[in-house]
Amino acid sequence: MKWSSRFRCALVCLGFVVIFSGFSFRLIYLQMIKHEEYAGMAADKHVHKQIIHAERGSIVDANKDILADNVPVHTVVADATLINNKDAVVDLVGRELKIPATELTEKIRGDRRYIVVKREVPAAVADALRTKLRGQGLRGIYFEQDTTRVYPNGPMLCHVVGFTDFEHRGIDGVEATMDEYLRGQDGYRYVEHNRAGQELVPYRGQERAARNGYQVQLTIDLNLQTIVENEIDAAMREYHPQKAIIILMRPQTGEILAMANRPNYDLNQRSEAKPEQMKNRAIIDVMEPGSTFKIVAAAAALNEGRLRPDTSIFCENGVWNYGGRPLHDHKAYGDLSVMDVLVKSSNIGAAKLAISIGEQKYYEYIRRFGFGERTGVELPGEIPGLLQAPQRWSKISITRIPMGHEIGVTALQMTSAMATIANEGKLVTPRIVKSVTTSDGKTISKLSPVALRQVVSPQVARQIGSALRGVVSDRGTAAAAAVPGFTIAGKTGTAQKVDPKGGYEHGKYIVSFSGYLPADHPEFVGLVVLDDAQTSKPELNYGGLVAGPIFSKIAEKAARYLDLTPHQEIRKALPVERVALTNASNN
Amino acid sequence: MRRSRTKNRNTVNAASLARWIVLTTFLALTGLSYVYLTIQLYHLGDRKKALETELAGLRTQNDVASAQIAALTSRSALQRRLKEGYLKMIPISERDIVRLNLPVHPDNDDAVRPVVNQRPNR
Repeated sequence: MKWSSRFRCALVCLGFVVIFSGFSFRLIYLQMIKHEEYAGMAADKHVHKQIIHAERGSIVDANKDILADNVPVHTVVADATLINNKDAVVDLVGRELKIPATELTEKIRGDRRYIVVKREVPAAVADALRTKLRGQGLRGIYFEQDTTRVYPNGPMLCHVVGFTDFEHRGIDGVEATMDEYLRGQDGYRYVEHNRAGQELVPYRGQERAARNGYQVQLTIDLNLQTIVENEIDAAMREYHPQKAIIILMRPQTGEILAMANRPNYDLNQRSEAKPEQMKNRAIIDVMEPGSTFKIVAAAAALNEGRLRPDTSIFCENGVWNYGGRPLHDHKAYGDLSVMDVLVKSSNIGAAKLAISIGEQKYYEYIRRFGFGERTGVELPGEIPGLLQAPQRWSKISITRIPMGHEIGVTALQMTSAMATIANEGKLVTPRIVKSVTTSDGKTISKLSPVALRQVVSPQVARQIGSALRGVVSDRGTAAAAAVPGFTIAGKTGTAQKVDPKGGYEHGKYIVSFSGYLPADHPEFVGLVVLDDAQTSKPELNYGGLVAGPIFSKIAEKAARYLDLTPHQEIRKALPVERVALTNASNN
Repeated sequence: MRRSRTKNRNTVNAASLARWIVLTTFLALTGLSYVYLTIQLYHLGDRKKALETELAGLRTQNDVASAQIAALTSRSALQRRLKEGYLKMIPISERDIVRLNLPVHPDNDDAVRPVVNQRPNR
């Protein structure tokens, strides 16, 4: 059989048709049916999701002075499989980053592809190292852009500001409580790289910009904080107490203007801090408040209308047996008015004030003043204090609690209670965060004062305030807390230290003074607490003698700073001798 | 003779040729433009990347400078400088202070007189 030329042509054409149809079908199969799958595989190989890191927001004080900010740093990482000359790399990197050679050799041993050599390397050091690595032709060391938190004021305000971990999560202080606002939201971008690892910018895919963290403004005023820090340091040098706390608060709004604790630590060297130094004792330590707590019994008794400020209370000439246990006053008092119970700080008088309204009512007033519950300040770890329900009180509890024993309060609760008196009987939630803004100043949230309740009537608050003025007078227990030119209201406290094993520690006291200034229109309330202050003689370890003068110094400077107009009575004020309390001050 | 030469000569259709030339030129220019624009795209991408890197570098420098300013102007730093004698502070005397609020005069002489906490000489 001989095929005609026409048939052979048709056969070749058919062959081409079959071949090209096969190609076409394959093309359609790859491009249409398998498109998603292969496009995905290609994307997996070349396209990467690049994270755009959000910058953590800064923390500023009431005057916008920076308390916490970010500084760019580098994380130096190594890929052990790509290091071409281990000895040279160890030598150079170890020298530049100040890492011992043995430690670095151990780190880059093996064939791990991601080894963190050192974090938080300053940009200048990283740049110098990069140049030297290039110069010597060494490979396998990379630099990742990162930021670290810096605290320009070091140890100042350390317990309030707090700190973050290396993943930029807030761990303590406002850094922890406001972490949600501070941390921002990371963005992302899909990028494609060529074979050399360079980004192909025209092929950038979906992109979402990072939202930087918000700026958190505190109510703290660094100028007042500096005054407080200087005075607390001076008190530490003079009295060597185990712990010290000072708080300044604006009574009308609950804004905390200054808060200092000792011992403290440097936020920039937090890794060296001991746990004892890191506690914000103003909110996590309970203490028996001592006589400063007498304001609760007096305010409650007056508010219930059972007594008037001038009602006479017999103070049993210094010793009163109640419930089979004697209760002492530091001096033998006979009849004292309700006001004078505070001025003279009579334990027996305060006990009788509480008894006059009964256990249940008195307990309610303690709770109304905010004791036994957290204040709600924006700081982590706050405790509610220790307050038993009346059902669990002993027979003598009603005589001991009014003088500030058998109850555990935090320093902030005590300041808040005094602020209630200064604020015409209104309890306002203490707060430390003023506002949250974007980095360009747009307000996200502005925290307004929260008035919780009217604890006592304004009239009763004024009556208590009047009695507290007497405390800081020539008749009271805190004459040394006076400030030239201003009328101060305040109350001293001296409580024997509770022994963790039970009972009280002999000769160890927590001394305190809480007061406000000016007494008529309070601008700030202050609390000074010293735990186990060392005085030259034990009988001089009193709130009025130790904590009172510290308050006086702070209040005087704060009044100057706040430009408070001095009272005219400055000219006819009475001088008070200052007792040498420590051996240091004798020298 | 002349007639047959004329008959054998190829005639060029000028209009058609022009059409083809225009079409070819258009296609060539389109192709070249495509190549040029693609190269430009890559070039601009590289430029964009370089500018982004430069911007990031400047931002880093700015952040470092801001942190340094914050550290050098912080309360603790200023106090340290003050102690070291690099800074001097002169207290404002009372007569140099102009008060906008007049001092408050008490309506009556209060029974409780405030006291002055006398300080030892420093």
